[in-house]
Amino acid sequence: MAQQEETIVRESETKAKVAELKYSLYLMRQNPLVLSGLILVIFFLALALTANLIVNPAAASSFDFTQSYCWSSSFFSWTTLEATCPAGSGHLIGTDGFGRDLLSMIILAIPVDVSIALVIVAISAAFGIILGSVAGWVGGKFDELILRITDIFFAFPGLVLALVFAALFGRTILTLTFAVLLVWWPVYVRLSRGQVLAEKGKTYVEALKNLGVGSGRIVAFHIIPNTIYPTIVQMSLDVGGVILTFSALMFLGFSPTPALPELGNLASDGIGHVFTAPWLIVMPGLTILVIALAFNFVGDGLRDILDPRLRR
Amino acid sequence: MIFVLFGVSAIVFYLARGFPSAFAPWSQYITFRMTPAQIQTIIHAHGFDQPLYIQYWYWLVDVFHGDWGYSNWANGLPTFEVFASRFPFTVELTIAAVIFTVVIGIPLGILSALKNNTAADHASRIIALTGYSTPSYWFAYILQLVFFYYFYTWGLPNLPSSGAISQALEGTVPTVTGMPILDGILSGNWAYTFDAFVHVILPAFNLAFISLGYLARIVRASMLEVLRQDYMIMARSKGLPERVVIYRHALRNALIPAMTLTGLFFAGLLGGAIITETVFTWPGVGYVSLRAVFQGDSNFLLLYSLVTAVIIVFSNLIVDVMYVFLDPRIKY
Repeated sequence: MAQQEETIVRESETKAKVAELKYSLYLMRQNPLVLSGLILVIFFLALALTANLIVNPAAASSFDFTQSYCWSSSFFSWTTLEATCPAGSGHLIGTDGFGRDLLSMIILAIPVDVSIALVIVAISAAFGIILGSVAGWVGGKFDELILRITDIFFAFPGLVLALVFAALFGRTILTLTFAVLLVWWPVYVRLSRGQVLAEKGKTYVEALKNLGVGSGRIVAFHIIPNTIYPTIVQMSLDVGGVILTFSALMFLGFSPTPALPELGNLASDGIGHVFTAPWLIVMPGLTILVIALAFNFVGDGLRDILDPRLRR
Repeated sequence: MIFVLFGVSAIVFYLARGFPSAFAPWSQYITFRMTPAQIQTIIHAHGFDQPLYIQYWYWLVDVFHGDWGYSNWANGLPTFEVFASRFPFTVELTIAAVIFTVVIGIPLGILSALKNNTAADHASRIIALTGYSTPSYWFAYILQLVFFYYFYTWGLPNLPSSGAISQALEGTVPTVTGMPILDGILSGNWAYTFDAFVHVILPAFNLAFISLGYLARIVRASMLEVLRQDYMIMARSKGLPERVVIYRHALRNALIPAMTLTGLFFAGLLGGAIITETVFTWPGVGYVSLRAVFQGDSNFLLLYSLVTAVIIVFSNLIVDVMYVFLDPRIKY
């Protein structure tokens, strides 16, 4: 009996959601920024998936210092700058600090950055949704505790926490990922908690409760699906932010190896050579900017589209 | 509040002192000339051989006595002195950055709201989104490249790319506040003031560029919200000129969330902009804290993160209180 009634509630929820989605898609088509952002995001995801097919990683990453270089000098042939060539010397946008083709290295770096950002955002969102909705639903002491803990993390200068963490646990991709994760999860806890609190008093939740549907079931199958949009918007906006933070850590010198193809690490080759070999910083940085911009276009547009107050 | 501060200090303490494999916490107290036996004595005297929670207690007692320890890498100066000498630089940079943010961000947001869904709106949205998609280190170098290097090679007047004051002028005015611009004004040395002012432009603009986008978006959203209210129709139907309607009635109300955000930016930036300060070698706390991380100076990191936490917590409190004053609809 209760099951049937629950299905009826679910169906009406679904019907409203489908109509909503159709309208949202219509609005999305009208918005050139979201559309261009979406195309760019798809382009970068495709590039990330096929990077190893476009560029042969082994061939592109190998560097041979016995070759003669653009500015080669017999004294300092081991310094990174000596291996660097400007654009046009058989390389479309020049070579990086190790004499490798910079364009190939950027293409190889895109999957690294994009996948790490997606993983960080997905894990912190999942963690935040679970913890936040439980806190919002249960309330009381538990809620208070979770709130205070997120307060602590909000009061931190984010980058410092990540820096200290990375400095202590060593420079591997895993620890750096965890360092960024450590800074990122509280936002989602707050967001989901607020959503659940707002939804808790609504009539459909009352109805479900009276039908005898379990708490876990109400939260997991009704409240969370009904309030997922702000979280999705936050996630799409955060991908850009995570890429910026992660590459900043790399840029500040936390790369596991200097030769790792990662956009921030590629850019860090150019520190100290910015006036003599500007492409070393400009090109990887520009790539980060475009990737982050693509995700932000989508996120910002989604926020306008999914927020009923802003869509008129 | 107290809980937050204890939490922050405990986490940093645990991270910075708990893993001797990375940096020995007693490295601040020893020199190369000490024998292993002497080092052991020092470790024992400072309680570094005790369990962590007892060390934390020692640290707390020291802090409540005003002793924040020493920073070995900064000529062995007391950590508090290192922090206090650097903090004014960060304050100066923060004030300059917030001025840039407000002066550019608010008009951009207003324009965007008044010309909703036109080319001007889309342009300001693109500027805003570009702002917060930009890697700040990258933009910092672009600014240096263009305004320092290219302007220099083209023979144009160029902006300095690093430091807070020219080396030639360093130390020519007495340090009163520690902020170069203010010190210059106080001593009446205009050449010094101008030099300090020129130095702050690029880093401040770099910081502002990242945050002005948020501000413009918030101003736009709240402005649109206000323009839709009934009292706007009322104001218009009274026959008020459009200028008065927009600036007197709409803008005042729309700026409340913008003020909140500006306050939070201010607080966030006071915590030191690590990346910008590092790229521009701005001698503020952000720059020093990165060095402290690499030197494993737990004393500095503890002081730094506590001060930042206090600033953030207090600014949140002030913003909440301000809200009640600014918006009579809100009651607690």
